Amino acid sequence: MLSRVLPPLALFALLFAAWEGYCRLSGVSELVLPGPSAVLRALYIHREAIGGHALATLLVAVPGFALSVSFAVLTSVALHFYPRAERAVLPVFVASQTVPLVALAPLMILWFGFGLLPKILLVILVTFFPVLLSLLSGYRQTPAAFRDLLRSMGAGRRQIFLRATWPSARGAFFAGLRISATYAIVATIFAEYAGARQGIGIWILAAKNSFRADLVLAAVLVSALLTLGLLGALRAIEALSARGPARRHHA
Amino acid sequence: MLEIRGLTLRAGGRVLLQDLSLQVPGQGITALLGASGCGKSSVLKWLAGILPEGVQAEGEVLVDGQPRPTGDRLLAYQPQNDALFPWLTIAENAALGLRMAGVSAKLATARVLPLFAPFGLAGTEGLYPEDLSGGMRQRAAFLRTMVQERPFVLLDEPFSALDAVTRLKMQTWLLARLSATPRGGLLVTHDLQEAAALADRICVITAGHGVTLPVDMPHSERTEAAMAPLRETLKSLLLEECPP
Repeated sequence: MLSRVLPPLALFALLFAAWEGYCRLSGVSELVLPGPSAVLRALYIHREAIGGHALATLLVAVPGFALSVSFAVLTSVALHFYPRAERAVLPVFVASQTVPLVALAPLMILWFGFGLLPKILLVILVTFFPVLLSLLSGYRQTPAAFRDLLRSMGAGRRQIFLRATWPSARGAFFAGLRISATYAIVATIFAEYAGARQGIGIWILAAKNSFRADLVLAAVLVSALLTLGLLGALRAIEALSARGPARRHHA
Repeated sequence: MLEIRGLTLRAGGRVLLQDLSLQVPGQGITALLGASGCGKSSVLKWLAGILPEGVQAEGEVLVDGQPRPTGDRLLAYQPQNDALFPWLTIAENAALGLRMAGVSAKLATARVLPLFAPFGLAGTEGLYPEDLSGGMRQRAAFLRTMVQERPFVLLDEPFSALDAVTRLKMQTWLLARLSATPRGGLLVTHDLQEAAALADRICVITAGHGVTLPVDMPHSERTEAAMAPLRETLKSLLLEECPP
């Protein structure tokens, strides 16, 4: 455990030390580039306000991500059983990924107002595709011998899916979840940036407008911590739901 | 008696196998011997009802003279290698065929567990496939096949992934298991030695046709020297297909 945590911690410490050293030695204004100590100080002073905004962001990102994963799982199952539909639907999903968020976020606010819905829709739009694609590719990784064996035992398509295809896609599924989870917080912040009453996005917008680089960077730090928290939660779910060799891998 | 009549296999317009007829008695092993790609595994897949989409088959299956469909419940298929599911324990893997036949998890486990000791797998019930050696995994796969209690077993190169010593041990073990619980076994192999050591009759697939040879010698007398003439005959039949 320690050997896994120590190298990234050491690298972060090194990067922060270099950043702090540069700020102090170069004499760059704190208004332009505050050092990590100034950022941490600002974060401490405004902890309650930022905490409230972080919670608001989390309350959009987590339900949005959960809904997105549920839709991705359902869609992947439907596309697995109807491969013709996959050929028709997949290009539409690919096209949806090419729409720039910067254009879509204000439109969502325009169409659906300042409530929860447009933000959740934006999170779903951004995080749905990687999970769907990972699942479909995971299904295709099912060894042919597993399918043959089950068919020879008289299993139908549903049983083959439940017994062999779904478990075979487990690794790919969690890989897709991790990729999507890193997008979930960013997408929420983007949505808030386009229009919201609360959230890290709004905090960043207000801090930027007041030329408070330290508060902007404090918000960046918080959003990074939120993403790490989400990834940690996913890893815990992966470890707890693992069986056999997969469980040992997480031990 | 399991019987294949007039089986022709085609893949992509090419004839893999022409008019193969073969009888598999209800006891002992019938080996289907042939070079890689000659269609011998496809014969098993056809019998098991899992022929890939690109392969077309014509032919009949009969059991005790009665026509039967392919994929019949009288046949248990064991794919190449062991095909044990890595996320299931050995006991769960062994019970898979019973579960697919609609037996409850509890009942399937109760039927499987007493067989672990006779199959040389005692103590492995709660382990996972990656914990077992190649030979043990094959035994587990074989237990999964045998516990289905179907009168005929279709074995697709079961020992091809094993090292030479383990393979020899497993061959002896397989003979002992099959004499303890008699079944008609159809064994696909490309290994001359394996066919000569295990089979009571050998069907050699050569130039797209099958030639059946009986092996009238008790297993205990099958020494290297005693089997040499048979191996030479098999070799010359196999080489007919591939001139130098």
